[in-house]
This record gives sequence, C-alpha cells and structure tokens, in this order.
Amino acid sequence: MNQSSEPIKKPIYYGWYVCAATLFIGFVIIGARNSFGVFVVPMSEEFGWNRTTISVAAALGVLVNGVAQPFFGQIFDRTGGRKMIITSLIVLGIGTILLSLTFHILFLAFMFGIVISIAQTGPAPSNTAALMSRWFKRRRATAISINSSALSVGGMIMVPFSMFLVEATSWRVAWVALGLIVLTAVPLALVFLRERPEDRGLYPDGDPPPPEGAIGAGRNRSGGPLEVETWKESFKTAPIWQMAGSYFVCGTTTFVMSVHFIPFAIEDRGVTGATAAIIFGYMMFLNIFGALGAGFLSDKIGGTKNWLALAYSIRGIGYLVLLTVDSVLGLWIFATIAGFSWVATPVLTSSLTADVYGTKALGTISGITFMFHQFGGFGSVLMAGLLFDVIGSYTVPFAIVGALLLPAAISAFSIKERKYSSRYQTLVPMPAAGD
Amino acid sequence: MASFFSFILAHQGDSADPELLHWIRERLDQIFGLGPWVIVGAMSFIIFCIPMSIIVVYLMQANRRAASEPNQESNSAEAQEQEQLP
Repeated sequence: MNQSSEPIKKPIYYGWYVCAATLFIGFVIIGARNSFGVFVVPMSEEFGWNRTTISVAAALGVLVNGVAQPFFGQIFDRTGGRKMIITSLIVLGIGTILLSLTFHILFLAFMFGIVISIAQTGPAPSNTAALMSRWFKRRRATAISINSSALSVGGMIMVPFSMFLVEATSWRVAWVALGLIVLTAVPLALVFLRERPEDRGLYPDGDPPPPEGAIGAGRNRSGGPLEVETWKESFKTAPIWQMAGSYFVCGTTTFVMSVHFIPFAIEDRGVTGATAAIIFGYMMFLNIFGALGAGFLSDKIGGTKNWLALAYSIRGIGYLVLLTVDSVLGLWIFATIAGFSWVATPVLTSSLTADVYGTKALGTISGITFMFHQFGGFGSVLMAGLLFDVIGSYTVPFAIVGALLLPAAISAFSIKERKYSSRYQTLVPMPAAGD
Repeated sequence: MASFFSFILAHQGDSADPELLHWIRERLDQIFGLGPWVIVGAMSFIIFCIPMSIIVVYLMQANRRAASEPNQESNSAEAQEQEQLP
C-alpha cells in the first residue's frame, strides 16, 4: 500500500499568493511614497524652493490620501479590490514617472499631492487588509500583519535605493525608475489578485467545505451578530467607535513622534543628530517584528482586543519612560517599547474590524477609521509644534498625547469581542488548515 | 508651522527625515564601501526577486498539482474497477 508510505503534500492555499502579491504591491507603493524625502533636497536646489514650500506638496498629499480613504473603501466594497488596485497601480506608476517632468511647484503639488496621493489610496493598507479579510478568517491577523510589515520593509529598502539612484543618476531618472518599479506590480496583481476564495472554489484559510446541515455551515458560517451590509449600520454600534477612538489616539501618538522625536532627542536630551537618527531607525526596524508578532499572537491565542489594549498600554509606558528618564537610555527604552507597538495597532484594529463587522462593507469602514487616524495625527503634530513654539519644550505636548493612551487602552479592552466577533460565533470547530 | 508641513506620513513614513536619510547613506557607505551603481544594482536585484520568487513558487505548485492529478485519476479508476470485481 503506497498510500501510507507517501504522505500527501497539500498545495499552498491560494490566499497566500494573494497575500504575497499584496505584499509586493505594498512594498512598492510605500517605497514610492516614502522616497519623497530623498527628492526634497535635489529638487529644492534645482528650483530654489525652500523646505516649507516643497513640504506643502507632501502635506497636501497626506490630507488628500486620508480624505480619499473612505471613498476608495466604498469602491472596494462595490466593485471589488482587483480592478481598483490594478487601476490605481497604473495611475501611480505613470504619475511617478511624470514627476520626472516637474518644472514648477504647482506641478509637483498637483502630481504628488493630488494625483499620486489619490492613486496610492487604492492599494492602501486599509483596502489590502479588507482583501486579506476575505481570504482568511483563522489566520486573518497573520495575513494582515505580513502586509503591514511589508510596508516597513519597503521603506527600509526602497528609500536607500532611491537615495543611491539619485546619487548615481539624477532625481528625474530616479522618479522614472521608481514609477517603472511600481508598474512591475501590475502583472503580479493581474495574475494573482482575486476577490474572494469562492472565485476559485475555495473556502477561507483553505479549509474544506463544512459538512452539509452542520450548525454554522452555509452563509452564516462566519457571521457575527454585528455583521453589516453597509458602513452606516456599523456606526450605530459601540465597537466601531471604541476602535475608531483608539485609532485616533494611535495616529496622535505616532505622527507626533514621526515629526518631533529627532528634534526632541537633540534639543531636550542632548544627543547628536546621528545618535537620534540611529535610535529612530532602530525603532522603525522593530516595527516589522511588532506587526508580525501581533498578528501571529492574535490568531494563535485569540483575544485580539486584549492584544490591542496591550499595545496601547506598552506604548503608554514607553511615553512615560521617555518623559521621566532624562537620558539617552530613556530614548532607547522608548524606541524598543514603542517600536514593537507602532504597527501592531493597525494590524489588530483591521483584523478586529473584520471579525466584528464582516467583510461586506469592510473597505469603507476601514477607510473611515483610517481617516480618524490621520486626523489624530494632524492634530497632534500641529499641537506639538505650536506648544513647542510657546513653551520651548516637547515635554507638555508629549505628556498630553501620551496620556491619551490610557483611555485608548481602556477603550480597546472594553470591546465585547466574545459577544460580537465572528471568531467566537462558530459553533462547529473549524477543521485543521489545509496548508 | 514649518514643522507641521515637514512631516510626510504617519506609520512607515518616517524615513523621509533628512537627518535619518543622511545617516542611512553614511552607514551604507561605511559598511559596503561600494559605489552607488553597485548598491542600486544589488537593491534592484532584491526588489525584482520578490515578484519572481512568487511566480516561481506558484508555477512549481501548479506543476506538482498537474503531475499529481493524473495519478489520482488512475488511482480512482483502479479503485472503481476493484469495486466492480465480483
């Protein structure tokens, strides 16, 4: 009997190919986006722009990107992710190439601040997380975390790549190269992106079909009590406000550090610019492990809201250390603690949103919560800058945003996940993974 | 107000800081000591390896599946024949 002697090796679940494709898409789009900083100096020098002038184009991009999220989320829910992501990638690639023709600040503001920023919304993490949520249920957070960590890796590889490319050639050639790299993601998206497992005759996670007549089988197999058809329904319930509120604080506490951490380290803690940059780079590097760890633990152990609350809590402790330990050690401890929680919160929020509200309106719901995140970030950066101008120190603004992490953690912890999450609704135990 | 405009992104957007970018370039220069073209070439290779490896794994899986399907069909045919035997 050769049946027992040769173990059958099951094929890789197709959802992992979708995950891998979105990973590369996230990698290239974040690379094109984050590399903007590389072009600030050479473009400013050539056209005689000052730093604030060129930064207006970037800031406009952040605003447009944040506001466009819910609209693209709605397109995702109505027409599907495949067409939207592919179209966005083509526009993004061509737009990035056209940046090489920049001749005036208005051209840059229009192309980068509006066209490219809108195009980047299509394959944004909120939409790819929604796509992952369709393909995965038991391993949802893991799949989302892989996507999220790709963004960090993309920044780490693509930004130095752009830097050396500018040095080797010119900023115009570098924009063309970046655009072409974005376009290489198009064929990958065409081949691998599919809307949902049913399109390929599969079930989420690659599970076998549930037995006929089993409890929990059929349409309601993965549904929770708050599963919604439209985004409006979700905003009549408590969990979305709890998640959006804490996500607002997430934006508040991360944006402010993105802008003010290095000046704080130099001016308030007296370290050199290079040391501040090393600490900051170290914190960004830890993002990857934080994201992957959060996704893995959430899927493996469960209790997503507990991990989310923990992430906010440890970030709060990080802030406390940053403000109370008046030395370079405090900066390192903060970087370690905050680095792990930095991208863990978007992963867990996206996963929990899908678990509670289902996937039918997930693109729009995620887009709206992401907008909350962006607004929190804008407010915090502005507030910290203004307070610094008045007080001459970052201590007060950091203390204010750090204190918000306590209600954020409580808000996340008080979500009734066991009652509302689809993970706890299935009465029939799910069979083992087929991959 | 200038600091308000100086930020680019939230999560994963921090590499735009000129101080950090300068430091990254110095470190890479120190570590590798190679010209920019060599580093661009090496990084291009890494970037293009990602989609290529996805496609290669998919094709390998597809070939394996295609190879195993005829065996499964012949096995099931044999089983049917055995069932029909008295």
